[in-house]
Formats: sequence, C-alpha cells, structure tokens
Amino acid sequence: MSALAYRTLGLIWLGAVLFFLYAPILVMAAMSFNASEFYQLPFRFSTQWYARLADNQEILDAAARSVLIALCVTAIATTLGSMASIAMFRHEFRGKRLLQVLLFPPIAIPWLITGTAMLIFFFGVGLGRGTPAVIIGHVALAIPYVIVVVTARLATFDPTLEEAARALGADAWTVTRRVTLPWIAPGIVAGALFAFAVSFDQFVVSYFLSEPGDSTLPVLIYTAIRKGFTPEINAISTIIITLSMTVMLIAARYSKFGGDR
Amino acid sequence: MAIHPAGQRRLGVLGLLSPAYLWLTVAIFLPLSAMLYFSVLSDVPFGDTDWHYSLENYRAFWENPVYATLLWKSVKLGLMVTLVSVLVGFPCAYVLAKVIRGRARETLFLLVILPFWSNSLVRIFSWAIVLRGNGVLERSLNAILPFEVDVNLMFSTAAVVIGLVHSYLPYVILTSYLGLQAIDDSLIDAARSMGAGKLTILARVILPLALPGVLAGAVLIFVPVVGSFMEPRILGGRVGTYYGTVIEDQFVAVFNWPLGAALSFVLLAVVLGILALASPILRKAQT
Amino acid sequence: MKLAALLSTAALMATPALADEIRVLNWQGYGTDLGWATQAFAEATGHSVTHEYFNSEQEMLTKMRTNPGAYDVVLINAAFTTQAQEEGLIAAIDPAPMKNFAGIPANMAQNPDLNPGGALHGVPWTWGLTSFAVNTNDVKDIPTTIQVFWDPEYKGKVSIRDDALEAVQFAAIATGQDINDIQDLEAVREKLAALMPQIKTYWGSENDWNQFMASGEFEVATIWSGSAARSQSKGLPVQFVVPQEGAIAWLDGLSIPESSTHKEAALAFIDWMIDPAFYVKWDAEGAPASANGAAAAALPDESFNKRVLGDPDVVARVQFQRPVSEENRKAYLELWQALKAAQ
Repeated sequence: MSALAYRTLGLIWLGAVLFFLYAPILVMAAMSFNASEFYQLPFRFSTQWYARLADNQEILDAAARSVLIALCVTAIATTLGSMASIAMFRHEFRGKRLLQVLLFPPIAIPWLITGTAMLIFFFGVGLGRGTPAVIIGHVALAIPYVIVVVTARLATFDPTLEEAARALGADAWTVTRRVTLPWIAPGIVAGALFAFAVSFDQFVVSYFLSEPGDSTLPVLIYTAIRKGFTPEINAISTIIITLSMTVMLIAARYSKFGGDR
Repeated sequence: MAIHPAGQRRLGVLGLLSPAYLWLTVAIFLPLSAMLYFSVLSDVPFGDTDWHYSLENYRAFWENPVYATLLWKSVKLGLMVTLVSVLVGFPCAYVLAKVIRGRARETLFLLVILPFWSNSLVRIFSWAIVLRGNGVLERSLNAILPFEVDVNLMFSTAAVVIGLVHSYLPYVILTSYLGLQAIDDSLIDAARSMGAGKLTILARVILPLALPGVLAGAVLIFVPVVGSFMEPRILGGRVGTYYGTVIEDQFVAVFNWPLGAALSFVLLAVVLGILALASPILRKAQT
Repeated sequence: MKLAALLSTAALMATPALADEIRVLNWQGYGTDLGWATQAFAEATGHSVTHEYFNSEQEMLTKMRTNPGAYDVVLINAAFTTQAQEEGLIAAIDPAPMKNFAGIPANMAQNPDLNPGGALHGVPWTWGLTSFAVNTNDVKDIPTTIQVFWDPEYKGKVSIRDDALEAVQFAAIATGQDINDIQDLEAVREKLAALMPQIKTYWGSENDWNQFMASGEFEVATIWSGSAARSQSKGLPVQFVVPQEGAIAWLDGLSIPESSTHKEAALAFIDWMIDPAFYVKWDAEGAPASANGAAAAALPDESFNKRVLGDPDVVARVQFQRPVSEENRKAYLELWQALKAAQ
C-alpha cells in the first residue's frame, strides 16, 4: 500500500472515531429540539425546551456555578499536579513508588465511597459543607489525573536537556520555565482539560458536599432523573458544549500546545 | 552560608510535592482512612447503635460467592473496555501525532476531549436513545440500507461496553498522543532508510517509545471501569449488575457503610494487585 | 401547653413580621417544591422555602445525621419515622396550631408508625400504592392479576424497580403472603427467579419508566400510584392496576428535625401542605393520595385518586408497609443481589 493510502486510511479512522465520540452529543442536541418530553421518535421540531430553560433560573444558576467551580478546580489542580510531577521526574527519593501508588485510591474507589467519606470527615472536623468544601473535594479528585497525564508526557523528556541548561548557567526557575514547561505543555493542557472534565461532571461529591439551593448542574441532573429529566437538561448541555467548543476553537487558533517543534 | 546542595535539593522536592499531597491527604486520604476504620466496625457509630471491632465485613466477601463472581465479571469488563479503547484509540492518536500537521492538530486535540465535558448521565441517556429498539441506530441503518435490519443493542453487555468505551476513550487517545508526538520523526526515517518494514518500525521504534503514554491511558481506563455502576445499570439492564452495583446498594438500599467500605477496599486491593502483577511484564515489554 | 399553642397560633397569624428561610428535605418533584405553592406560601407568611433532595431513605437519614440544623421540614416514610425518632433526629409535633390537621382521620393521625413513643412525630401527608401499570397500546385486556408478570406473552416486556425491599414484597404478594411478615422467603426467591427471564430491565426512576413506556419497551411494569397518575396526565398510554392479590401501600409524613431552628415556620409550612386547597391543585398535575380526609373529599369525581384509591374495595386489599428490621433488610438485599448477579 502506498503512503497516501495509509494516510487516507488513517484519516478515515480518525474521522470514524470522532463520529463515534460525537454521536451521542449530536443525539443529545437533537433531542433538545424534539417536542417530545419523553425523547420519543419520530422527531418533531420545537424550541419549547429553550424557552422553558430561559425561565428556569435554577438550572441557569447551577450551570454558572458549575463552570466557576470547574475553572477554580482546573487552575488549582493543574498547578499542584504539575509541580508534583516535575518533582517526581527530577528526583529519586525514598517513598516515591508509594506516592505514585497513592494516586490510585481516588481513581479506583467508587466516588460514592469517597463522597460519603468526605461528608463524614468534613462534618467531623467542622469544615461542613458549601462551595469551598466542594472545591476542596474536586481538586483532590482531579490531582491524580493531572499527575498521571503530565508524568506520561515527562517520560518522553530528556533530562540531559535540563542539565545542559543548568551547565550554561540558568537557574532552577529559568530551566523550568524555558526548557521543561514548553516541552510538557501538551501534557499540562491535557491534564487541565481532564481536571475540568472531572470537576464539571462530578456529581457524587458535589451532591454530598453542596448546600441546599446551591447545587451544581450535575447534581441537579442527578436528582432530576428521579422524577423529571426533561429536554431542558439537553438544551443547557447543548448550549454549554457549543460555547465550550467555540472557546476552544478560538484558543486553538491563537495558541500552540500541540507540541509542534 | 551555603545550604548543603543535598539539603537544598530535598527542600526543592518537598516544596514541589507537598502542596499536592497535603491536599490529597486532607481531602482524600484522611476521609478514606476514616472509611477504612468504619469497615472494621460491626455497625456505624452514630447515635446509640451498638458496635464493636470485627472483620465480618471482609469475611462477607469470602462467604458470599456473589461478591467474588461480580468482581471477576467487573475485572473482565475492565480488561475488555481497556483493550477496545487502546485498539481504537492508539491508531487515532498516531494519526493525530504523525499525520496531521499544524493548526488542525490543536483543533482536533481539543475536539477529542470536548465530549468529555458533557454530563455523563446525559451522555448515557443519549446512548440509550441511539441503541434501543426502534432507536436512532436502527432507524438510520434502515434509512441507508436497502434491506430491513433489526438492531436492538440496548440492555446487553455490548451496550455497556459501547457506553464505557465512549466515556473513557479520550484518556487513551490523549495520553498516547503525548507519547507519540514526542517521537522524533528523524528516528522513524532513519529506521526506514535502514530498510526496516512498517511492522518492524511500529514494534521496535514507535511502540516502545509510546508505551508510557499508552499505559497511563490504559490505567486511567481500567481502574475506574472496574468500579463503575452507572453505565452498566442504565445500558446493561438485566445483565448490567456488576461489582460497583453491590457497593452502591450498600449505601443506597441498606445503611451499611461498613460493608460498602470493606467491599471498596477489596476492590482497591484487587486493582492494585493486578497493576502490580502487570508492571514487571509491561516493564519487560518496554525494554 | 395550651398557652404555648395559642401563642404559636398567634405567631403563625403574625408571620409576615418574622420571615424565615425554611429548608425542606424531600424527594425531588414531590409536592413541596411546586413553584406556585411555595410562592403562595411565601406571599401568605413571608417565609421563603429552599429545597434539598435525597434519592433514598437511607440517604435522607444520613443527611440529617451529618447536617444538624440544616433542615426544618423532612419527608419521612412512616416505615422510617420510628427509626428517626429513636435516633433523636426528629422532634415531637404538637398539631394544635395547624388549622388543617382536623381533617386528618384518626386512623392516619394515630398511625402507630408515625407516633413512636405515643407522640406525633410525622404529620400524615400522602399515601399511595406500589402496584403496576400496563401499556394500553399493546395490552388490550386490562389484567386483574399480578400473575401477568409471569405470563410468557409479555416475556422481555416486563419491568420492576431495582429495589430489594420492593421486589421481595412484590413477590410476597404474588405468593399470597403478608408483606410485613414473610414466612416463606424461599417461595419469594423462587417466584423472583422465575420472573427474571421475563424482565427487560429494572427501572430506577420515574423518568426511566416514562421513557421506556413511551418507547414501547415496557408493557407491564410496577409503578407508584402517584407516578402513574402523573404519567397519564402527561398523555402516556398507561393504565394503573390494583390486582386482586392486593398491592403494597405506603404512608409519607412530614417531620420537623429536632435540630431545626425555625420550628414554627416549619409547622406553618406543613399546615400549608395538608391544606385541601393546595392538594386539589396538586392532584390536577398528578399526585399521590392525600392523608387528609377533607382534601380527598374535595377532589373532583373524575380524579384518579378519588376514582382508584378512593374505592373501598381497593383500600380493603392493600397492605401498608411497616418498618423493616435491619436484619430482614440485609437478607432481602442479599437475596435480590444473588438473583441479579446470576443473570
């Protein structure tokens, strides 16, 4: 097979995977324009769910709160996680394996247990509930993802580059800023995107830790599936995904983090 | 005046590591330690319940064959989902890292992760609409194909795997990408100029270098899938009972945290055991 | 005591002067959070209402235990009221200040499960049945027996809720047993094992249920009476059935946590919730049956709750759920999990 054939095959594969990833998103968006409250087919066009959403202050507030919390969590978790990854990459020390293994409990243990544990513990130490508690919990859940992803990128980094820069007289901060960070930038961006996703989709921990009347969008959705999960949820999800897509595409236009050399 | 270099180094490590781990300690390790403590109690020490130390919760795992059966079922599901995700995701990451160039790459990179930002429950319900009988999939296939097909994938293991692969695929694509993108093209060219075939290049040059990324992705998929309960329950229906389901039940149906916590720690131990067993093999493959 | 009651009545009347924020812990979409009702309540009394939701009774108890002072009104199923009282979570209620309490018949008001230790701890609010409904598009002859679940004709079109207690009690009815005193658990196990191959999927929420009924995946499925009324009012092709074998009945009460700091406002809200005027309006949207006799009587004749649940024949064959011991709960869960795991 020629190189061109491989290339075409590869692109088709990528396209098929993207289609697979977006299929339910498209269905979700389509259903937000479907008149049936019970997601019945065949499709009948209607914008009533958007009209109802505009009147639903609770959902709008919850969506805004979720975005804010996720942004805070992303900033904190990405910074702390990247710092820890760099430390583990640069230095050999006793207990390093243990620290790496300790990243697994938050990922492996079902969130239900972690959430209950946080509720009881935060209650026990007097931290209580509320948005600060939610952020503390989310950051802790996001950090392991950031560390794993950034570490995976660091594994491809040649430590002699840092040594060379140091030999040329650069101080530790300059080495980090000019040599290390640019190389691991794709990893940090991926880690940040995961951190955002972890927080933005997290309902168990938020469910236990948020105050009444102060809930996030996933909590609202989680409690709504009991009685009425109306296409309003689809409408707000569609708006959010469209907005984030726009923001991301603009970001992609004006920044370079894919690691092009 | 000068701080001993080793001392300075230690300080640097500490300064970089401690914020993350202190945070994890307060928000995860201490609460989970409390849970570990609960798991060796006979009852929850709230109000005036009678409780004492006991290993009965861990014994329950051995005595009731249901738990072990379901854990094995969950491990198999985890392996299956991980395998499918790697097989689907790795070529995708390769195309992204080595075929696509320039601006399009950043855009596609973001497009891969964007579905992740939608709510998982909404996603699962959307899959249900696609997969169910007379659903989107069946209707679209019948619209395209010249003959009638009857597709009802809903409430089957296949539906569970589809839903889970969809939820976790971005992990393996992005981590593989991070590894693949770092491989210098000149290395591949050099191998090719020395007459290495495509498969040889893949097996001897690309895979070893990309392995850390692929493994990170595989672990990020395998570990949570083993404990999953939402996707299996909604998409699997009658066959969707897994280990995560029985843990969930301990919290929701009976107020039995101690048993729920014990079952979770057994899960954690098994997952860590599998990773430990796999790590020498994987390390060997890497060299 | 009388003076206190009098004073609190006076306080109730003068409420606009002291506006409290009362926090309600309830299932979502279960009456207390109807926008028009809380709005009217706020206009009448000055108290605003915020909600927090739970997804299971156990979770509700956990939330009360770990958040003292956070709630003022909590919906508690009568089968759990005694447990909550024993743990010191809820306060005794003096019904005297409530003007609508008189409408509640004695058998409800003095229900032993709501009066642990001889004192009222939960104001009877709503009751209903857990029975089943059929999809009238596919099922032309409305069945009269619970055995329809085992009818080969409906294989793969049947559903029950994923809940151990409900599944076991459902099978107890099908095997002719007392749901509160199951003597032959083995018969229940066999009956459920025979049901498993019939099942399409277990449902988890009213929302699932509606979608599966709407898409035709379900033909026969268990459901709560209030939910069936709601689904019907939304135009779904369903018909609620109370079979000749009987059905599970439950009673929900509104309680005030011991730790509540707005007990008077909470009582005013409960009084608002048992008001016949509120109930008649709620019933039009699909509601469970009211525990207030005056409210039930005020319903129009064509109302689902008056037609179906007001029928004395129906009332005679239902079995009210009593508290379930921890031991039985565990046994039922193990039985149900083993059956599910074998699939």
